[in-house]
Amino acid sequence: MVRFRSVEKVSDEKLRPEDAPPGLYDDQGNPRFFADPGMDRFVAVVMNLAQEVWVQEERLLALEEAKSGDAIDRDAKAKEFIDRVFAPIREA
Amino acid sequence: MTVELQHPMKADATPDEVARGRFVSGMRSLILNDLAGDMRSAYERRAAPAFKKKHGREPESSREAHQALRGDPAFNIYSAMRVQAQKMVWASVADSVERESDRLASEAEKAAGALGSLELDPALEVPKNVHAIDVHLMPGSYTRGADSLEAGAVYDRGLAVFSMGLMGANLDDIGLSMSQYIKQRHPDFAPQRILDTGCTIGHNTLPWKQAYPDAEVIAIDAAPGPLAYGSARAKMQGQEVAFRQMCADDLAFEDESFDIVWSSMFLHELSKKQRAKAFDEAYRVLKPGGLVIHMELPPNEQMGAFDGFYLDWDSYYNNEPYYKGYRDEVPRELCTRAGFADDQFFDFVVPSIGIYGDQAVADAAKGDRAEGVCQETTGRLAEGVMWYGFGAWKK
Repeated sequence: MVRFRSVEKVSDEKLRPEDAPPGLYDDQGNPRFFADPGMDRFVAVVMNLAQEVWVQEERLLALEEAKSGDAIDRDAKAKEFIDRVFAPIREA
Repeated sequence: MTVELQHPMKADATPDEVARGRFVSGMRSLILNDLAGDMRSAYERRAAPAFKKKHGREPESSREAHQALRGDPAFNIYSAMRVQAQKMVWASVADSVERESDRLASEAEKAAGALGSLELDPALEVPKNVHAIDVHLMPGSYTRGADSLEAGAVYDRGLAVFSMGLMGANLDDIGLSMSQYIKQRHPDFAPQRILDTGCTIGHNTLPWKQAYPDAEVIAIDAAPGPLAYGSARAKMQGQEVAFRQMCADDLAFEDESFDIVWSSMFLHELSKKQRAKAFDEAYRVLKPGGLVIHMELPPNEQMGAFDGFYLDWDSYYNNEPYYKGYRDEVPRELCTRAGFADDQFFDFVVPSIGIYGDQAVADAAKGDRAEGVCQETTGRLAEGVMWYGFGAWKK
């Protein structure tokens, strides 16, 4: 059993740096960066999607490996994949 | 790259889970190396000049660098991606931890007879900074799963993804680098009793036992789950450590009973008040001739505006509420306020032993107080990382 030190209701504001302006966060307390809050979520969706594509890619690599008998450097492949997919953001 | 943990509680992950972890490590590497570089260049090219135009001078503090960067496209993309990558770290290990909860318990049970001990304190009230927010966006924080092995397993496996290999395969690079630095710099120092405060799963406790095998090593934390996990993890690796549930600002130890009081990446998780008390307590329990030593982020006073803010970013966006408050404090004053003599204070930078090798740490130990606190690689989990530490001897 874990006991928690009884505190007054903890608001998000209390556990943030004192100089954090409220405008840094949305009304749910999530950090927000872009003028259009939809963009913050969209970035997350793109990353999730890329991750799912990479999972499929590793499945294919496993098949290729089984077929050719040659080991594939997955870390190096993942780096190439990420660099390629996210190249446009390097222009920010 | 994601490292493979070095003990039987490592994940028996599915190929898809391995792929997810690899992707997240790769994304973090892109963000913390490439996008961080892009943000610096945008700061110099756009954000700082715009600030200067408005205020008649360059940004002078971490806070002003933050002000200058807010709204810049390079800052926005870096930040939004870093937040999401952080969430993905914990998400990438959640399924395997849940699926394997029975196996973890049985592995821990198998190791239960090994040397070492675990003492939980059901009466201890876990402070709010440990449970009331999801620290570094880790769902359920350090009290996830109460006193089960869940929080420890999420932390251990998550750190293996998070660290991109930069903390070593056993996630102990900080402890290894720092303990070797002290051992080589002070070859006659022979600590008999060592305390690690805020140890979580004890990953940076074990190197002190390895450096000083004859010493009694005790590791404390407020959260019971990670301690239970850490105790099992230490036993599996044949390291005798006593894990006890306790807060660093209220130590249940006698005066002058330790030779070393150590912590790693811990002070920034305490409020200013708790931190001051933790230093008082460290001073109290140290024997004369004993050493307080902390690995932490380098302080703002030793860094420029941009580099200071680069580290303070976590305080605003990564659920690390006390991070900036800690970094705004002056390490020397933390020590002297607790009673350590001013001339007994020191700070230093140690090259990561895993990246730079044993000789580099030996060279640093032989050198003057290491330079390079303000270098870009210091305290920053990115290629070429070096660790900042400070401490004081008790007269």
